[in-house]
Amino acid sequence: MTAPAIACRAVTKIFGGLRAIDDVTLTVPSGSLCALIGPNGAGKTTLFNVATNLFTPTSGKVLFFGEDAAGSAPQQIAARGIIRTFQTARVFPGMTTLENVMVGAHLHIHAPIVAQILWTRKSRDEEVRLAATADALLDLVGLRHARDLPATELPIGAQKLVEIVRALMCRPRLLLLDEPAAGLNDRETVELAVLLRAVCDAGTTIVVVEHNMSLVMGVADTVFVLDAGRLIASGSPQQVQSNPAVIEAYLGRATEQAS
Amino acid sequence: MIGGLLQGGVFAIVALGFSLVFRVTNVINLSQGAFCVLGAMGMYYFQVVFGWPILLAAIAAVLCSTAFGLLIGALTFVPAVSRLPTSSMLVLTAGLLTFLVGITLVIWGNQPYALPPFSGEAPFVLGPLRIPTQSVWLAAVSAAMITGLWLLLRATTLGRALRACAENQVAARLMGIDLPRMMLLSFGLAALIGSVGGVLVAPVMSLQFDTGQFFTIAGFIAVAIGGMGSFAGSIIGGLLLGVAQQFAAFYISSLFANTLSLLLLLFVLIVRPSGLFPSGPQRRSDVRDDPRIQRAAIKLDGYRAVLLGAAFVGILALLPWVSLPIGILSSLVISLILFIAVLGLDVLMGYAGQVSLGQAGFMAVGGYTAAILATSYGWPPLAATLVAIVLSVFCALILSVATARLRGHYLALATLAFGLLVDSVAVGLVDVTGGPSGLVGIPAFAVGGFDFDTPRRMYYLALTLAVLLVIVLEGGMRSSFGRSLKAVRSDQLAAAALGINVSRVKVIALCISAALAGLSGALYAFNFHFLSPDMVSAPRSFEMIAMLVLGGEGTLIGGFFGSLALTLLPTLVQEFAIFKTAVEGAVLVAVFLLMPEGLFGRLALLLQRLPKLRSGPAQTGAKP
Repeated sequence: MTAPAIACRAVTKIFGGLRAIDDVTLTVPSGSLCALIGPNGAGKTTLFNVATNLFTPTSGKVLFFGEDAAGSAPQQIAARGIIRTFQTARVFPGMTTLENVMVGAHLHIHAPIVAQILWTRKSRDEEVRLAATADALLDLVGLRHARDLPATELPIGAQKLVEIVRALMCRPRLLLLDEPAAGLNDRETVELAVLLRAVCDAGTTIVVVEHNMSLVMGVADTVFVLDAGRLIASGSPQQVQSNPAVIEAYLGRATEQAS
Repeated sequence: MIGGLLQGGVFAIVALGFSLVFRVTNVINLSQGAFCVLGAMGMYYFQVVFGWPILLAAIAAVLCSTAFGLLIGALTFVPAVSRLPTSSMLVLTAGLLTFLVGITLVIWGNQPYALPPFSGEAPFVLGPLRIPTQSVWLAAVSAAMITGLWLLLRATTLGRALRACAENQVAARLMGIDLPRMMLLSFGLAALIGSVGGVLVAPVMSLQFDTGQFFTIAGFIAVAIGGMGSFAGSIIGGLLLGVAQQFAAFYISSLFANTLSLLLLLFVLIVRPSGLFPSGPQRRSDVRDDPRIQRAAIKLDGYRAVLLGAAFVGILALLPWVSLPIGILSSLVISLILFIAVLGLDVLMGYAGQVSLGQAGFMAVGGYTAAILATSYGWPPLAATLVAIVLSVFCALILSVATARLRGHYLALATLAFGLLVDSVAVGLVDVTGGPSGLVGIPAFAVGGFDFDTPRRMYYLALTLAVLLVIVLEGGMRSSFGRSLKAVRSDQLAAAALGINVSRVKVIALCISAALAGLSGALYAFNFHFLSPDMVSAPRSFEMIAMLVLGGEGTLIGGFFGSLALTLLPTLVQEFAIFKTAVEGAVLVAVFLLMPEGLFGRLALLLQRLPKLRSGPAQTGAKP
């Protein structure tokens, strides 16, 4: 059996006096599609940032595919095949949609920099191949028509899709998506769910931080629920939905509401 | 020692102005030093030319230059500060400095001025010490000014508002503080402080039009040593610097006085970027992630670009056969040579988004290396040029290793310090470089037995190189590497998350930029058969930024239009020559404010629109 894609072991992150993440232990099995949900301020994004080494955890450790990534720079994390997207779409301004997506292939460029600058045949062929892949991916999300537009001129929803496609260009082993459905309409959300399922079935482990319950419940294998920094529930979408602790976290305690 | 403290006092005053503006606007205002000179020149005007009494003349001079400062601030600085990121503001203030220096040159010419001390030549005797009375004046007025400033900031509503802007601009705005007014006020106050300093120092230093740069640099070093934004730090930094310079001049050589202080600055920047007395929490300012670059990359589609480019190169190639007025061909050669360095700057600034204020430093490294090898050691020019490029890249590597921890404008300032350092070394090493008067007898560029000894030959050489470089870089910027440069410019965090090694990309961009500057410097030296520190000093760095910004950043070819305009105009209109510096500064500022896409960008936009008129609205999905 392969090592789990992510193994958080007793991860705690303290900001000042706030325990943003409190002793979280969870395992994301390799090849699965997991969702991380929780009310605002539950620590979802913080956990993401700790996982991708933007923050170092106060205590505990995170293992990716069985390896400790502590101390690696963000680009080294990416080089291990762990690619993340951001809560607010971060497309590169000043570049077209196609260019944005092609930046994602950075780790898979074989031609050395000098060859790239001198525009050698090998480098040219590589570019053509990459552009074809990028076009195919843009087609998949219905953004082919926007390939030569400045990416920042697209609507927010489309920018989020560009970001996901860009991440896919990296051919990640593990894809971490921070609120991919924010800004998407219902139809786009369904399309996204189909896309994520297909990507996952093709062998990429996916973790989604999400508010949109229809996306989470429709597509995730496993759901983790965070509240006030603690992991309060995990399991299949059905199990989680009927878990009293989860209902309490989202709706408040019945007695509190009465008072 | 006393002399050092006296000079240090002036540095401290300039540094104080820096700190004030930085506190309120988070911008390092490089034009600060120019107000000292304006104050001093005004003083000369009122006291010597009009014959007014000292006190009246001083007040009038200070008022005039402060009013001028307020005007400049209201027209340029304040409108820009809310629109441009701090790193572009740094360039803008460099433009202001150039402009003010140029204005001073136009009004007062290039001869030095000196004034009599306020209260006679007789020194003030205190026991065994003989203190020039002027330093008593300086100390007293500085102390009064510092106290006044301190009281203003601590004890008045206005001061509180100013400090609120410094802490959190958005919150200050929400509390109803008129932010632009506060910024203008800080700019004006800084101009006031600067001109008072200038008036005080006028009798002890001989001042000329470009002393402003000296003041800016010294004041900046002082503030960087003391801690950006810290008032106490500025004063201590200034005094420290003054004394250090005096000692260096006394014990080593006056030519090396600047070298020492620059080394001191680089040391402080590298070891403790926030200075000896850091003020408040660190504010991050990364590369130029600004609204200005949110615009689409300007480029023409392939076919038309190739056609236009070929036509353009054809015209340029035929130019030497048209009978041109005297000097035009030489000017064209110069603008092509400078264009090569501007190309490098474009890779670094336009594509990778890193501000470099030291491009001329790399030119100097290249130029002097090539010139010395060819002159003193009899190397063939081609080999000397190659070594020059290598050495220039080597310097870039050292600089990037040394500054690896620096971000945002500290990095830009480190490049400024680097340029000044190279400059001061070139001045100081008289035996090797010929010192301030320059290196003579540099042979013409030659390959094999063929000498490029006429302007026409040199023109073709420079044109060929420039065209080749543009073609190569045009391809390079479209490659994966070019994309990573742009990605780093617009979002470092997202770039790193996709596996781009951000610092490596920046280092490579700096190396490319240095290599082209080195090549340009070498050609420059071979072209003139002469090289002096003036030709490759800090104003040259600013000039090249002006060329780039005027032509259009991130367009490669744009820089040519910039260098052409700023090189050719003074030649075409001889009367214009004296205005050159002022116009360069004004152009830099105006283009930044009014036409951020530059000449070439504007041209490309126009050309882009043409076919759309013919083929109708073919594009879909474009939403603003």
